[in-house]
Amino acid sequence: MPRQKSERFIVPIGPQHPALKEPGHFEFTVEGEVVTNATARLGFVHRGMEKGAESRTWTQDLYLMERVCGICSHVHSMAFVLGVEKLANVQAPPRAQAIRELVAELERIHSHILWLGVAAHEGGFDTLFMFSWRDRETVMDLLETISGNRVNYSANVLGGVKVDINERQKDELLRGMDFLEERTRHYLKVVTEDDTFLGRTRNIGVMTFEEATRLGAIGPTGRASGLLRDVRMDSPYAGYPDFPIQIVTAKAGDLEARFVVRIKELFESYRLVREIVEKIPSGDLTTKIPRRIPEGETVSRVEAPRGELFYYIKSNGTDRPERVKVRTPSLCNCASVLTTAIGHKLADMPMILAGIDPCFSCNDRMVVLNGPAGQSLWDWEKLRQYGIEYYKK
Amino acid sequence: MNVTFPPLIALLLFPGGLFLLASGLVFEYVDRKFIARYQNRIGPRWFQPLADLVKLLAKEEVIPAGTIKGLFIALPIAALAAALTAGLNVPLFGFRPVFSYPGDLIGTLYLLSLMTLCIGLAGANTENRFSIVGATRALTQLFSYEAPFLLALLGPAIALGTWNIGEINQAAGMNLWFILSQPIGFLAALIGLMGKLELPPFDAPEAETEIVAGALTEYSGRGFALFRIGRDVELVIGLTLIASFYLGGFSSPLDFLWKTAVLLLITAALQSLFARLRIDQTVGLWWRVGAILLLVQMLVIIVGSSLAPFVSRLFGG
Amino acid sequence: MPIGSMLGDIVKSFFKKPVTEKYPFVKTAAPENLRGKLVWNPENCSGCQLCIKDCPANAIELITIDKVNKRFVMRYNLDKCTYCAQCVVSCRFHCLEMSDDQWELAATHKEPFEVYYGREEDIKFLLEKAALGAPEEACPEA
Repeated sequence: MPRQKSERFIVPIGPQHPALKEPGHFEFTVEGEVVTNATARLGFVHRGMEKGAESRTWTQDLYLMERVCGICSHVHSMAFVLGVEKLANVQAPPRAQAIRELVAELERIHSHILWLGVAAHEGGFDTLFMFSWRDRETVMDLLETISGNRVNYSANVLGGVKVDINERQKDELLRGMDFLEERTRHYLKVVTEDDTFLGRTRNIGVMTFEEATRLGAIGPTGRASGLLRDVRMDSPYAGYPDFPIQIVTAKAGDLEARFVVRIKELFESYRLVREIVEKIPSGDLTTKIPRRIPEGETVSRVEAPRGELFYYIKSNGTDRPERVKVRTPSLCNCASVLTTAIGHKLADMPMILAGIDPCFSCNDRMVVLNGPAGQSLWDWEKLRQYGIEYYKK
Repeated sequence: MNVTFPPLIALLLFPGGLFLLASGLVFEYVDRKFIARYQNRIGPRWFQPLADLVKLLAKEEVIPAGTIKGLFIALPIAALAAALTAGLNVPLFGFRPVFSYPGDLIGTLYLLSLMTLCIGLAGANTENRFSIVGATRALTQLFSYEAPFLLALLGPAIALGTWNIGEINQAAGMNLWFILSQPIGFLAALIGLMGKLELPPFDAPEAETEIVAGALTEYSGRGFALFRIGRDVELVIGLTLIASFYLGGFSSPLDFLWKTAVLLLITAALQSLFARLRIDQTVGLWWRVGAILLLVQMLVIIVGSSLAPFVSRLFGG
Repeated sequence: MPIGSMLGDIVKSFFKKPVTEKYPFVKTAAPENLRGKLVWNPENCSGCQLCIKDCPANAIELITIDKVNKRFVMRYNLDKCTYCAQCVVSCRFHCLEMSDDQWELAATHKEPFEVYYGREEDIKFLLEKAALGAPEEACPEA
């Protein structure tokens, strides 16, 4: 009997899998332990938020958009608020802008430390996971003291912010930053010096500068490959013109570089928080903003902890938006996983996946239709025809 | 302590059987608690392993389609039985081994390996992809640590000239402790035990974030409970072996308690210090570093023990 | 030593008290501007219903008892509330605030989540009317 060509052995990860606490589906074709092909399917958590935004008022949408992502809630509301303010031709007062930046940087700290823990856990280094999350509580507490909530800070309102910081909170912020800086220095040492951990990160998941450009990688993932791309620097928003950042990049493009970039960004955030606390401008927190936003459309970009967050907002002059389109950073980085995964061991997959800091709940807008003849992509004409056929029955 | 128990009691109640199972749970609890404290957490309460076990035993066992049913049910039983049988050959709780024969060291080690074999078979028995990958890894790992682990335990045996666990236990306390004279062997034995039990950082065969639960992914309810308790029992036996070989043996239950506790403290620290090794890294570590070091040590022991009379005459004279 | 660089941490934490909070047994106070349960003070309320318009979760309702004398009852659905504090910002007369000492808001059944604020006799009147099955007076659009 002639030997049959060996069947492809596909290891699925997700939509329910301990490596991913969020639903995303990845299929890795393996030969032995080596991955030869990877595909992804996203869109398990479609919540219809963009559509939902059209039937709510501008104010209500602010809180809806805040709930697109549980980790970077503030940047979502900030992107929305900045876009709406641009449409209404309103500028929030400088103190409000500074507080927006302050909360955004605190959120970045919490998100990066969270990622550090998750990535360590994917690599089976639970002690680093536990310790980094223990220290993350410091910044969570700070966010809670400032805004009144641990996750959905709701610091923004249209035309300003609703939280202020007083002297006591400033003290707490400075103390928190000191503690975190010391701990982060230690973690930087651990991830760049510990041999067992380096064995899991060095030269794993390498994405060269060219690849990163081609795949459109953004955020820390792109910066780890040497991409000089950061919205905070390219087109500063909110308080960033007054409190500028210094961009952090690395050359190697492997997992270690992603660790190093994110951890060095933490130091940058600590510096910014300290600077804002010391030099925060005084003044009002809000300005008046009309209930009906003038007709027009705008694009608003902010740098989320995971990369560039993009909002397109269109208004038709009523108290409700006509269209809100969100493009989250994780979506841009997903392609890089599929390319970098090939050739690595199956054991590296969770770490490569976690390396882009994926946030699947943000990826709820991708739709793949499985056609009757096995095609998976339909053009508009076919789609229309299908709709007509469907309703004829 | 040289107490002889009636065979039936020794087999079912003490020191084998029920008492061994209970101490397996206690050891698991202490291990988890130590790791938790190393990570600045509180850790589980004292009855948590028992509660887990009772819960699992009470649950329905789902036998997936596409498996050999008999094998699926028999494997966990065989694994636990092997572990319990191995318990009869070692000086549990400081008492003399219940059952002893010349060369029982080798027999015990093979009984201990049966567990991994059962896990590998259990994984290969199901059609689950995670199980199959897990089974492959478990068996690969078996081949990587087994020989060095054996060499590590043979060190004291060769030095003392007996391959009987009970005799080694008695003789180990009389000389210089082997942890001092054969430190490489001690480390290899301890780390080998961690590999055997698939504890982190050698938990690639059941790496949660990669392959869910490895070979045991399809196991639930009773089968899973038996595998778990089997592993706990193996932890007790493995620690007993290492403590009796390298930490000067035991003559009383108190001896047993503090020596195994110290070993647990060390293994818990090792478990929480490292990132998980990939399976290729595990194999590389054992064969490139572990085996060679152990072979060198073995050579030194053999040469040393054959030269010992000569040397002592040289210095004693 | 490039191996086990967290040794210092684990040894230190072995002798340190665990940081785990024993929450239901030991309670720590919430920060003072925590956004907990909404509290309504009817004194200054003009019945403008801005809070209701802005609420993203439709968690609050204002029921008019007597419009001329500004007697309102506020029905607040705790289980719908998202604790965003937009209503607090929207209110021009500072009638609303979010309490920081009432935040353990869990229950095994639905009733405690419906909170009424207002004068006692008004609430009683409303509840009795509801018990009789009479249709509730919908609040007119402002």
